[in-house]
Amino acid sequence: MSFNGKVALITGGSRGIGRAITLKFASEGADVIINFFRKRDTAEQTAQEARNKGVTAHIIKANLAEPEKIDHMFNEIEEKWGRLDILINNAASGVARAAMELDYDGWDWTMNVNARAALLCAQRAAKLMKNGGSIVNISSLGSRLVMPIYAAVGVSKAALEALTRYLAIELAPKGIRVNVVSASAVETEALKLYTTDPNLPRPMVTNTPAGRMVQPEDMANVVAFLCSDAAAMIRGQIIIIDGGLSLTSLGHTAQTGGKGG
Amino acid sequence: MSVEETVKKIVIRIVRQPEIEFKPTATFKDLKADSLDVVQILVAVEDTFDIEIVDEELKDVTNLGGFVAYIEQKIAEKPK
Repeated sequence: MSFNGKVALITGGSRGIGRAITLKFASEGADVIINFFRKRDTAEQTAQEARNKGVTAHIIKANLAEPEKIDHMFNEIEEKWGRLDILINNAASGVARAAMELDYDGWDWTMNVNARAALLCAQRAAKLMKNGGSIVNISSLGSRLVMPIYAAVGVSKAALEALTRYLAIELAPKGIRVNVVSASAVETEALKLYTTDPNLPRPMVTNTPAGRMVQPEDMANVVAFLCSDAAAMIRGQIIIIDGGLSLTSLGHTAQTGGKGG
Repeated sequence: MSVEETVKKIVIRIVRQPEIEFKPTATFKDLKADSLDVVQILVAVEDTFDIEIVDEELKDVTNLGGFVAYIEQKIAEKPK
């Protein structure tokens, strides 16, 4: 799998899953543009790790909740590169509350960052994908399953998944593929925002047939595959990375166990 | 408008409590700001003053007076 000469934008590309995706594309030869929200040092650190792999890496600060900031980001990309081959809508935020405790501010913020920004980024990116391209949206099992204090994010991810199907059809004639990579809980710093249980990974591991937590690199590998020519005929699909977790009923895997891969 | 007055306007707009008393000794908790409010306040302050707030540097900031002083310091450090 080679992405030599390709230009990839990864939103939220400096930490967690986004960082793994950034470094995967850099390893495969793509020049990377890392969008970050507020932590410049972390973004610069990831960019340097990418540069160490022999590609160019550039960081752009943008609050994706604000459409004009998205416009500024793409204006800069258009000016500096004039094109884009890959867009990964990875940036996510959200208010960790039950549905009945959500206020409209938290709802709007979550929907704007997780769903509206993906639409606006795809609209601008598609214009820069003159020779076709690939868009991958990062989702989670909370789009279909009910998880504690995950209402706003879960609904926003459901919107993102529906949006993916519409974009996949509308952009197919332009040679642009749009798909989703979805996951159960991935072992990142962000996971701590949604649990007060310091032992969360243990039941997650026990209940996952594959016998371990999903790692950011598991996501990055599938994202890269979807952006490769090998995935040319995969359009508007949701690829779930969860080690089989969402297929099981509670208690089933505790009895049958599983081996890590 | 002073830095303090501008910050006060931002905070009042985001926590949606026009009646709050903006005392230098008050904390974000006193203003009933939740974690999203705090993020939005930081972003708005960064945009308004064209500065970048480093979260780690805020660890020593305990109240609004300290927050305003930190912002003034960041503005002073901006390249002319």
